[in-house]
Amino acid sequence: MDGVTLGGLVGILLSVVLVNNFVFQGFLGICPFLGVSRKIGTAFGMGCAVTFVITMAGAITWIIMHGVLEPIGARVFQDAKALNFLQYVAFIMVIASMVQLVEMYLKKFFPSLYTALGVYLPLITTNCAILGACLYIYMKPETAPFLNALVYAFGGGVGFMMAITIMAGIREHIRFSDVPKPLQGAGVTLLVAGILALAFTGFTGIGK
Amino acid sequence: MPEETTNLQQFKSGILDNNPVLVQLLGMCPTLAVTNSVENALVMGAAATFVVVMSNLITSLLRNLIKPHVRILIFTLTIATFVTIADLALKAYVYDVSKQLGAFIPLIIVNCMIICRAEVVAIKSGVGKSLADAFGIGIGFTLALCILGVIREILGSGSITLPIWGPLFKFPAGYEPHAWVIMILPPGAFLTLGVVVGVVNFIRHRGEKGGA
Repeated sequence: MDGVTLGGLVGILLSVVLVNNFVFQGFLGICPFLGVSRKIGTAFGMGCAVTFVITMAGAITWIIMHGVLEPIGARVFQDAKALNFLQYVAFIMVIASMVQLVEMYLKKFFPSLYTALGVYLPLITTNCAILGACLYIYMKPETAPFLNALVYAFGGGVGFMMAITIMAGIREHIRFSDVPKPLQGAGVTLLVAGILALAFTGFTGIGK
Repeated sequence: MPEETTNLQQFKSGILDNNPVLVQLLGMCPTLAVTNSVENALVMGAAATFVVVMSNLITSLLRNLIKPHVRILIFTLTIATFVTIADLALKAYVYDVSKQLGAFIPLIIVNCMIICRAEVVAIKSGVGKSLADAFGIGIGFTLALCILGVIREILGSGSITLPIWGPLFKFPAGYEPHAWVIMILPPGAFLTLGVVVGVVNFIRHRGEKGGA
């Protein structure tokens, strides 16, 4: 395939995990990042669920765009981008139904994994990291080949998992410190996230 | 209690007591991402207000037809439809801003603030109350975004510029503002929102001390 090289794939992975981390640089998935980062265990479980769903969603929406909407647009309307206005509705349908399917599949075949992730699976539909990743895959030229798109989506999930686990680790310690009352909860979490984001800006330039 | 609120109270609660961003902490992603300038904040606020008003209107009109187990899917599809309309309109009229907002216009679909209003208010209330609620929430969201936008743009760029009205704010001549670039970059968003949420909490709890 054109445009797929090992170096390119490693570059995409490094870039999306560290340099353009979804949480700290792209502001995607902030709601679960603030809501489910109280304990390391649950945060890690949420991260795993997101990584799983984001990779699947990235693959399926790539197929929908390049296998359904563009060919139909090109054949019927003589313009590959003619049906692009259906993109958002199609993507959110795919994500919502896929989360349901994944939930049923895990319940039937991997009950232990299902009970571990159970609570977080339905929440993932409204995690903007998933829809965001699918949209960015279509917008960026370097993720046009299928394999690159897959690595980008997977890397986005891993970056999210890393961010939420780091945050949970810090929050477990914050519980024992004397935080001023108005800042308790969301306030101090956002301030810590700001400092972490500051640290992550240090990765700028890697992989270029 | 919530049944007895008038439309006006419902409208006001969205702006002050139940402000979606500063009190309920919903819709964080666009809040952090687009507040690097006041102009982006205003456009984002207008688009989200349009979507929440239309989604509340449709949900409220259909509330007797929607079966409970498919309601989330119907909310999502309604919202996605109006987001597509808003996105095409923004691309047609304010192309530059829409390019800067990028993926965050389509990401209004998964903004939990809008689904939350459909679930909490529109599915059980009449059209009037749903619309009042949607306008309140939309204006509250825009206001919160503008507060953050003003702080970040003054600190980060040293001035506020809107293309329609020209420069709104400038430091007096002779004073060269030290542009604090980090406030426009992602870390500044987290730090500003953290401080603003802290200030809002401080004000709210100071008021409560007398009563409770």
